[in-house]
Amino acid sequence: MGETRFLDQGLPPQRFARGWHCLGLASTFRDGKPHAIEAFGTKLVVWEDSQGELQVLNGYCRHMGGDLTQGSIKGDEIACPFHDWRWGGDGKCKQIPYARRVPLRARTQRFETAIVNDQLMAWHDVEGSAADYDILPPQLPGLAEGEYTDWVWVAEHIEGSNCRELIDNVVDMAHFYYVHFAFPTSFRNVFEGQQATQFMESKGRPDMAGGYGSAELFLKSEATYYGPSYMINWLDTDYNGFQTEVVLINCHIPTGPDSFLLQYGIVVKKPEGMDDATANFIGKKYADMFGDGFLQDVHIWKNKVPVQNPLLCEEDGPVYQLRRWYEQFYVDVADVEAEMTDRFEFEVDTTKANEFWQDEVAENLRVKAAEDEAAGVPAHH
Amino acid sequence: MASFVPTSEETLEDQRLYTQARLVDVACLDCLAVVGVKKNSEHHTSIQWSETARRECPELNRIDGRPNGRAIHEGCPRLVASIEAASRDGRIPLGAEDGY
Repeated sequence: MGETRFLDQGLPPQRFARGWHCLGLASTFRDGKPHAIEAFGTKLVVWEDSQGELQVLNGYCRHMGGDLTQGSIKGDEIACPFHDWRWGGDGKCKQIPYARRVPLRARTQRFETAIVNDQLMAWHDVEGSAADYDILPPQLPGLAEGEYTDWVWVAEHIEGSNCRELIDNVVDMAHFYYVHFAFPTSFRNVFEGQQATQFMESKGRPDMAGGYGSAELFLKSEATYYGPSYMINWLDTDYNGFQTEVVLINCHIPTGPDSFLLQYGIVVKKPEGMDDATANFIGKKYADMFGDGFLQDVHIWKNKVPVQNPLLCEEDGPVYQLRRWYEQFYVDVADVEAEMTDRFEFEVDTTKANEFWQDEVAENLRVKAAEDEAAGVPAHH
Repeated sequence: MASFVPTSEETLEDQRLYTQARLVDVACLDCLAVVGVKKNSEHHTSIQWSETARRECPELNRIDGRPNGRAIHEGCPRLVASIEAASRDGRIPLGAEDGY
């Protein structure tokens, strides 16, 4: 006892997670050009073939390493800008225009794909397993039927952090108050199989603006990771009595040991009788708000260190159990242990925290009012 | 091969403390499920299921089939009642030990 505690920063993972990763809105790849996506420590090429199928290969030609993303689409194939080797979506080299025959071993790394919620998903596994379509994230009911606004989609490159920092948010009750300016009044987690869920109810802080700060904003949030990188967040929002059903997609692609591409998208269920323009406007507003929220997180991530041995208090969420769940995506399938996937439930006691926070916010408002009065600013109420 | 490899033995002990220490077996009053339970306070609850217990729970198995896209669901109300009963009977010690 009484010993100084040290941070165990650990060693970064030696591989990238197994599972479905979202590469972006499918429509962005359908312009007849090859697209580059940095992912899994390399670069991928994405293009649409003549049947309208999106194809994903490793972006570097197996001949002399040319960058296929700077090549061109010829028929169904991607042609390398270096020597015009033509690669098909099945990963095989189909043609080398200047050669008598194609080497039998001319096969590159291909990624199996699926389209879910208008987004292109790609399966990644360092063991090279066949894609598991049973664990794809679910299609949002009503999305294809036009019940939602258009996607507002944003991508941000994050440098200097491993993507596990993003995952940790699933259990981080208190950061919603300090980083995002909301009181979490109820907070639960359930982990099972390949899914990890956070249930949260929160209200905005009246002493803060930006992020989720606003006394008029109530959120009922259910957020589930389907695998290591794709979260669907169902949000019932109440702003001044105006209720909106928002769906936030929060997904990422690891690009290196301490970098990832964060992507998020927002749709809003169109309220009865509202025109599309107004509904899209509301969608944009919520996208801005959650975009602010991510930037608040990013600032923390960029400046913190990794911690393998976080020290927790009673009001913290189950960080160790979440990481045990997350570990399943970083070991061989044969090494996935029961404890990584067994169901686990956790309800945080937010009582004590909220008592303290209410007092703190009241004090902040009192100081603000006194300052405003001194400066001659009229009171709001 | 593990990822995020800890560099200290003490980290392994922390992992054990936070995930396993103080879990008390609680049997469901309605089915054969036995789960590990920890309560740091009246309102806090930590429930560790095993594969066997999960198979035994008819309530969760029934909800599993619901086709609304939201596969992970809130808890089993029968188990919650069983944990509350065990807590009332003093079979689950209340209170955390230094945060775990």
